[in-house]
Amino acid sequence: MLRRDFLKALAASLVVYQQPLLAMNSGEKQSPKVVWVMLRGALDALHTVVPTFEPSMKTHRPTLYPSIEHKLLPLAQVSSMQQGYALHPALVNLHQWYQQKQLLPVVAVSSGYPKRSHFEAQDYLESALPVPDLDSGWLARAIALKNKQAIAIAQSTPISLRGSNQHANTWYPSRLPDAEQQTYQALQQLYQDSPQLLTRLEEGLNMEALLGEQNLQKKQQGSFVSLSKSCGQLLSQPTMDCAMLTLGGWDTHKNQTGQLQRQLSLLDKGLQALKTELGEQWDNTLVIVATEFGRTVKENGTRGTDHGTASALFLAGGKIQGGQILGKWPGLQVEQLHQQRDLKATSHHFDWIAASLQQHWQLTDQQVQHIFPTAKVYQGKMFRA
Amino acid sequence: MQGSKKEFFNATIATQRFALGARPDEIKKINDNAQQWLLTQLDASPTVTFDRSLATANSILIAHSEFTKSRKAFRKQQADKTIPTAMAEMDSANQMSEMQAMPSESKKTEESKEPKNPHNDFYKALTADALKQTIESENSFNWRCLAFFSNHFSVSAQGQLMTGLAPTLEREAIAPNLYGHFDQLLLAVCQHPAMLIYLNNENSIGPSTRFAKKNRGLNENLAREILELHTLGVDGGYQQHDVTELAKGITGWSVFKPGKDKQQGFIYHKGKHEPGTRTLLDKSYPPQDLAQGKQMLKDIANHPSTARFVSTKIVQSFISDQAPEELVNHLTTQWIKTNGHLKSVFQALINHPLSWQKQQQKYKTPYEYVISTYRALAVKKLNIRQVQNALNTLGQRPFKADSPAGYSDQQQDWDGASALMARVNWASQIAAKKQFAKTNINILIENTFSNTLSTHSYQVITRAESRQQALTLLLLSPEFLTR
Repeated sequence: MLRRDFLKALAASLVVYQQPLLAMNSGEKQSPKVVWVMLRGALDALHTVVPTFEPSMKTHRPTLYPSIEHKLLPLAQVSSMQQGYALHPALVNLHQWYQQKQLLPVVAVSSGYPKRSHFEAQDYLESALPVPDLDSGWLARAIALKNKQAIAIAQSTPISLRGSNQHANTWYPSRLPDAEQQTYQALQQLYQDSPQLLTRLEEGLNMEALLGEQNLQKKQQGSFVSLSKSCGQLLSQPTMDCAMLTLGGWDTHKNQTGQLQRQLSLLDKGLQALKTELGEQWDNTLVIVATEFGRTVKENGTRGTDHGTASALFLAGGKIQGGQILGKWPGLQVEQLHQQRDLKATSHHFDWIAASLQQHWQLTDQQVQHIFPTAKVYQGKMFRA
Repeated sequence: MQGSKKEFFNATIATQRFALGARPDEIKKINDNAQQWLLTQLDASPTVTFDRSLATANSILIAHSEFTKSRKAFRKQQADKTIPTAMAEMDSANQMSEMQAMPSESKKTEESKEPKNPHNDFYKALTADALKQTIESENSFNWRCLAFFSNHFSVSAQGQLMTGLAPTLEREAIAPNLYGHFDQLLLAVCQHPAMLIYLNNENSIGPSTRFAKKNRGLNENLAREILELHTLGVDGGYQQHDVTELAKGITGWSVFKPGKDKQQGFIYHKGKHEPGTRTLLDKSYPPQDLAQGKQMLKDIANHPSTARFVSTKIVQSFISDQAPEELVNHLTTQWIKTNGHLKSVFQALINHPLSWQKQQQKYKTPYEYVISTYRALAVKKLNIRQVQNALNTLGQRPFKADSPAGYSDQQQDWDGASALMARVNWASQIAAKKQFAKTNINILIENTFSNTLSTHSYQVITRAESRQQALTLLLLSPEFLTR
């Protein structure tokens, strides 16, 4: 009850003042924190954690690869296993994290979901059960077992946090009346055969653009960067153990270069804002960033990519065993691809998520089995001392 | 195969165009009996169902009278108090400290609650009932017909009394006469307190009666709107002379005064009725008290101009702004042949192939849009405040049209850029609600459109990157925005 009221007040002050508040997280070691960031829409891993060592990248992606090839941010190789990956040019902060050993990318992962529907794949990734239960998320099961407090930065509880209502709160900037940018983009596509609706939509968007500063601020309140910042503030409270953020806009069927440049930059800035807000608690935090599936290895006819299979996963945090890349690389030769079109999955998300969460929150094997029944838990050390 | 596809298509048209959108089980239930599904609704008895425990025009008029009486008494009391209190204060200033004076101050504020205006509550409860019934009804074609005539005989919730009274007209006068003869519908409306008060006929007094004074006499408002909006139409061939004559013909048509009149509802004041013969559209009406006005209304209800005017409006509202001449003629002929038997007129509408053109014909009004959304989503615990807020946000609050002409039925009045942006924002908010988080978009598409959604829309919607966005896009698809 009290906690709820506190959250309400906190949320209200976030909306009104939009500045860091209650610097009560100084120094003292709090219980280990988790941030689960879900990228909805299927992130193109080959455009994010780029295998520069693959000679076929240019032939698979004649326009997409050259668009970033010369600006890529190389990732130092720890062993010869890791060949030569590089991050997308927009991931400036994440690149720095990698160099500081605070970022751990995992390549060629999937949730185990065999098909290519966003919704079903997201259900898999959020529920982590062999047959997804929309009322039981893996994070919810974890916080219920460990009696943790969680908050979803969302308008309603995502599947990941469902099933433990006594623990999960949601928070979102109140009365955010404007639809999100991705919705407008999708609508432009939806209206391509309806000239009148398209005209109206464009008129409406122009009108809103003219409305100026106040509206803009209102919009930015809902942007990923400000949500991440709020998330960091909420999580800085000693009573808060866990938060979930989501970012959509990854379904890049066309003109992917520009869209991913914007999206990845948003993700990068948002995660940096989260880190900044967490302050010294950063060393005490595990960040998990994943997407429901990957995209086709070949670019399609509209300078984009279509729904695929394996993608990449990021683990991050002040003490994560970063600066290396995990996951076995399946190769990009046609015969190495899943159904001759997608990057093949060599491990599952949950193998890695379970390992890091087990070590971070001191879960027993039994508890891990309950939370991630399908995981083949990775046995390496995920954190530095 | 071809045939069954066509019939499926008709089920979508039946629910989207004729009715107010499909509920989850309807498309399957209708199957290939789209016309029959509509025709059967015409036979439903009652055509629409209301919660009968709610306030009626009579109870609202009584409550209003009590409210104004108690408010008057209260204000008088307040005025009376002011003088002695002021005097007492002057005395006490010398003898009593401020501390002692305080309690009587606070006591005064406790008493000084003005009686509460009851009409907002009436308005909310009555409109909530109609919206809920509409969203949950199996006879949504009937509700659409009711909405059509409710808007045709629009009354606005403006001012205290009309706020409570406006929603009673469709319940009490229109619904019982929905598929009867138009002259009976017109009469019921013109004798209902809401219409009489809204268009000021309740105080219209025959100019040559003894009640007529300098400031009290004939009011033409209702008579003019009957001719212009309800029957003949502005080009229907009447003159100012006809307006005055009809106004005189319905002088003395009024509403009971609680406490004064024993009878409730409509009251005929014989003494205020203008004596003498009336002439309307070149026809003479000998003095017959109440029957004189009734006969005048009956004749204009059955006038060919009325048949054409209302038939055109029906076709425009239900089918297309560019009403096909052939269809209008068909309805008009049916109207004249049956003396304005509305059931026959709607049968004619349902049975004519021009009503079933495949191309979607019209952008939904906010009302149609909101209702069809809630019908499609079939929420278990319907929060009717949400629905009311939606209509408010999207610009079509029940009974808040700003003129007796009602809300426009023309798509150009609703399809502006900011209106679309409002729908985009509203749909996004709806889709973000927890109760829709598990919506299965494929099932929703099938239940709403069967297989008639365009491939393009289907692909964009089903390839959306989240359930939430898929629902947003479905609600904003060209197919869902139009009918």
